[in-house]
Amino acid sequence: MSRFLIQRPLPHGGRLVERVITDKEAAKKMIRGCPSYDIKPTLHFETGVPVRNVYREIMSICYGFFSPVEGSMKQAEVERILKERRLLNEWIFPYPLVFDISEEDYRNLGVGPGDRLVLNLKGKPFAILDIEEVWRIEDPEELAHLTFGTPERNPEVVREPFNKKHPGWVIYRSLQPVVLAGKYTIINEPKLRQPFDRFWFPPRKSREEFERRGWRTVINHQTRNVPHVGHEFLMKCAAFTGDVEPCHGILVNAVIGVKRRGDYPDEAIVEGHEAVNKGGYIKPERHLPSIVLWDMRYGNPLESLLHGIIRQNMGCTHHMFGRDHAAVGEYYDKWATQILWTKGIPSYGFPAPPTDVPYGLDIRPQNMREFAYCPTCKEMAYSETCGHKREKLSGSFLRGMVAEGVQPPSIIMRPEVYKVIVKWWKHFGYPFCNEKYVVNKEKELEVDLEDL
Amino acid sequence: MGEYFIVVLLDDYRMSKIRGTGLEEHIKYMFGGELRLLEVKVPEELKDRILQEFETARVDSRGAITDLPVAFMRELFNQIVEKKSLGPEVVEAVLQKVDEIKKAAEKESEYLPPPEID
Ligand SMILES: [Zn+2]
Repeated sequence: MSRFLIQRPLPHGGRLVERVITDKEAAKKMIRGCPSYDIKPTLHFETGVPVRNVYREIMSICYGFFSPVEGSMKQAEVERILKERRLLNEWIFPYPLVFDISEEDYRNLGVGPGDRLVLNLKGKPFAILDIEEVWRIEDPEELAHLTFGTPERNPEVVREPFNKKHPGWVIYRSLQPVVLAGKYTIINEPKLRQPFDRFWFPPRKSREEFERRGWRTVINHQTRNVPHVGHEFLMKCAAFTGDVEPCHGILVNAVIGVKRRGDYPDEAIVEGHEAVNKGGYIKPERHLPSIVLWDMRYGNPLESLLHGIIRQNMGCTHHMFGRDHAAVGEYYDKWATQILWTKGIPSYGFPAPPTDVPYGLDIRPQNMREFAYCPTCKEMAYSETCGHKREKLSGSFLRGMVAEGVQPPSIIMRPEVYKVIVKWWKHFGYPFCNEKYVVNKEKELEVDLEDL
Repeated sequence: MGEYFIVVLLDDYRMSKIRGTGLEEHIKYMFGGELRLLEVKVPEELKDRILQEFETARVDSRGAITDLPVAFMRELFNQIVEKKSLGPEVVEAVLQKVDEIKKAAEKESEYLPPPEID
């Protein structure tokens, strides 16, 4: 065996967190006599629009996507994360994750440390929270600033102060004051709704799937978009990294959660990626679209850290990072994520890249620039290779084309992918997420639950 | 100064409408000839009116006016076919229907008619 072969990494923290009870009788016994609470969405602190649902965090924690995180964080853990992006057990982690409720709900519940709280979702028992500590967020605005950084404190990559135009900042700014900290356990496994069910590969299952497919090396492609041909080329060309041969697999992992107006619907995103392999542009044997439930925080380098953790937990050996990774607006340097993974960002607690600090990650970054059509090369060409003037494809140009009902040529978007957009356009009456979609999605969520 | 334009994309359906109007020779190609488009000239004064009427509208670095309502773009194409022209009179004709377009644009955030493909 070549000494250059790369092996599948262990989960972050050394073992997968799995906190899902599948035995209904046992679950019923566990919650007997316990107080319960209906999970509420986090509402925008000014507009009242839903911006987050903690159920997605509970899912991602209990199925191990966020290993080694096991629950809602204690105050000391949140403070440590904000200072040096580490959990109390030393492993690196970018964001505070808390179960927050209002003072009124807290009074009405009358729970405290040592109590078990049953969390209901869509009117059914869903999970339990074993409360270890109750603490308060004194100043959510300060928490929001500390979570993302400021130009003064993080001069390496933060370019503008965060404000209410940043959807991730808004999530933290909108948290309720009382935090119930402790471990979550899912006691009633939700069923993913169509079409998300066939893209549900929690870490144990994705690792088994990689094994079954004989994928030793797997590169992840983060997405929140319906793929155009530029994305397709990023995916398949980034996969040429690997060890002694290109990566065996390309995992597309779509972040599914609260939507912003103008995004493509999540249904079109997952089926759009699937259409890439159904159309044979990337063979299905080498390509696996999947999802993770998470309300994006758009923290660019910090988000990339979470993405690295999720995909290492899923069993990937490599992670592709591009320009403006998980970014919105101009808050961060365009290349902040690539700076983190090549040099580190000391002000966030990374004097070296996250792969080169103690209790860090094993997944390898593959930093990429851009593909665009070159009329001289007559092909999709890489910005750092082709020396000609290329025809850049902006997202807004493509969206304009779609909105007008003009089918993009197949060198821009594969016809199979466009068909998926139109399929969901017919379903929702709109090609992108409008207000109706956003509101309805937060009501329906991505799961259904049976009686326990 | 004063030379702005709006890009009008041409799919097969629109190509069939253009045929015979004498506008074929003005068709420009991108992406290896796969994307066909026309550019409608917009003088300074009309550009200002467009930006005033439609708050989403932008002018990009090439002088292209973008992010216009779909209803505007549809009417623009209709007028091109009707007037067999890419000159300012096309935009003027569109702007004469500005109230109608604005009303349609408002509804565009709720509903957009999907294209008929199989
Ligand atoms: Zn070239």
